[in-house]
Amino acid sequence: MTTRFALPRRVLGAQLSRAYWAELAWVIIGAPLTLVFVALVVVGLVLGIGLSLLTVGLPVLIGVLAGARLIGAAHIALARALLGTTVTPPTRPELRPGLWNGVKSKIGDPIGWRSIAYLVIRLPLSFIEFFLVATLLTYAVSTLTYPLFWFILNGEAMPTFDLRVDTWLLTLPLALTGLAVLLATPWVVHGLTELDRLLVRGVLGAEDLSKRVRDLERSRATAVDDATRRLRRIERDLHDGAQAQLVALAMKLGIAKDELAGDGDLAQVTALVTAAHANAKQALVELRDLARGIHPAALDAGLDVALSTLAAGSGIDARITVTLPSRPSPSIETIAYFTVAELLTNAAKHTSAAIEVDVGIFGDGLRLVVRDGGEGGARPVRGGGLAGIAERLATVDGRLDIDSPPGGPTVISAEIPLRT
Amino acid sequence: MRVVIAEDSAILRAGLVELLNLREHEVVAAVADGDSLCAAVREHRPDVSIVDIRMPPTHTDEGLRASIALRAEMPGCAILLFSQYVETQYATELLADRAGGVGYLLKDRVAEVSDFLDALRRVAEGETVLDPEVVSQLFSATRKTDALAGLTPREREVLGLMAEGRSNSAIATALFLSAGSVEKYVSSIFGKLALPQSEGDNRRVLAVLRYLES
Repeated sequence: MTTRFALPRRVLGAQLSRAYWAELAWVIIGAPLTLVFVALVVVGLVLGIGLSLLTVGLPVLIGVLAGARLIGAAHIALARALLGTTVTPPTRPELRPGLWNGVKSKIGDPIGWRSIAYLVIRLPLSFIEFFLVATLLTYAVSTLTYPLFWFILNGEAMPTFDLRVDTWLLTLPLALTGLAVLLATPWVVHGLTELDRLLVRGVLGAEDLSKRVRDLERSRATAVDDATRRLRRIERDLHDGAQAQLVALAMKLGIAKDELAGDGDLAQVTALVTAAHANAKQALVELRDLARGIHPAALDAGLDVALSTLAAGSGIDARITVTLPSRPSPSIETIAYFTVAELLTNAAKHTSAAIEVDVGIFGDGLRLVVRDGGEGGARPVRGGGLAGIAERLATVDGRLDIDSPPGGPTVISAEIPLRT
Repeated sequence: MRVVIAEDSAILRAGLVELLNLREHEVVAAVADGDSLCAAVREHRPDVSIVDIRMPPTHTDEGLRASIALRAEMPGCAILLFSQYVETQYATELLADRAGGVGYLLKDRVAEVSDFLDALRRVAEGETVLDPEVVSQLFSATRKTDALAGLTPREREVLGLMAEGRSNSAIATALFLSAGSVEKYVSSIFGKLALPQSEGDNRRVLAVLRYLES
């Protein structure tokens, strides 16, 4: 979508976007948080290694590693919440029986050590990020407010950056540079947090390849089964629906033709043609429904149009908001469409109130949120609708989160990575 | 004729009943699955049954299984299989008992009402009727036995029409030949396929079976 206001909208939108504020929060809390964690871990390690000559050290060391593992998990959760980066937490290595094996595996716990490594790398990075962003924002705020403070300061310099100009008018170009810095900050922050994303993925989420392969094998099997099931269903629908209608139609027209050739009874021929006409119309309806089930034509115009069409056509009362800077790939759009379609149908079964659907970008993925004011208590049941959606999302590394306390409201969100 | 219909699609079942009634045949039972078909045929002993291959519960080949069971029980029990698709495998299984009185037609053929009823009548009289589509698939299939390889293109054409269950005079009309030359071709085919002159067996069916048993 290119309009005259596309650029200003992008620049101003960046200031207000949730993603920016989340990234900013990550940068601001990152430095103090890392400092505290590193201090804890260092103290623990020094104690543990120092005392390990005595046996007391081992439990301390094990405790520190367990703590580090927790810190790592907390960072993974935080990165997911603020940076929108989904990292599968690494699995614990298999435990072998025996006390010594237990101690060995705990001391050699790769996840714990990896969390410590992460903290060590993150410490300087988080401080650099913090000071850089703090400097930029301070400069922007000071220069932007200088035109006001100029009157109060009476020719004195601003406490920050020693800003000082002789006439009030000269404060304005300064303020403009501040505005430019403020507007550019989202891109700087995003660039910096990209480094963090790499770090989280590379160090904390570095899972063993075999697990990844297992997951992929499982999700591929799901994808293949799903495709087969869908094809079979399409064939059955055709066979029992449109094909049967068309055979009946041909048969009735065949009889009518014979009747006409042998100067048959006109009333009977009329009845036959009327029935054949009904068959033809029914076959058209069946074909249209089937085609829509395979690929909704409205999807060619984008998710927004397709989802609105879907809601309007199914008679479900839904408020649909789609905020996407650009169109995702057709396969992602299709998955998103059918996910929302199933979630809507599901929600409509449990509530008659309006259902809210939000589609937007979150971090490096597409996020769909379906919110209904039903009675809550939605759970994924094996073989049920929600479990099926989750499995299908897993085939593209997506995930489904269900938040449905008893009494409602139910909020189901799906995330689909855009980088497939 | 007295007819039993086994077809799970209600639309088609009703359509067939209507068609047969209109042409003064009696539909003694119209059922929707294999077990009911067997029961109905045992009870009514119809002249012919029209059987859909795909029926509940598995929607694969229930109709065929039921038909084969019925013919094992009552040899020559006339069955016209009726399917949306051509499966030469099904045709082969159905013809395997060589008793005649079987047919295998695509559902589309019902559009030509008189041809369809004609096929139904021929099956009831113990002949074998195969859909042209089945026959052409058999021709294109890579079943080249020595015996078939010895046939001239013209003889293959005649055999193809024979497989569809056409009479000599119908073949003559279709190929613009005299009845006499068709008879010559037919006996030449029988000779090349080494089919014995015998009264009991339907030699035309046997000729067709040569295709199927390669």
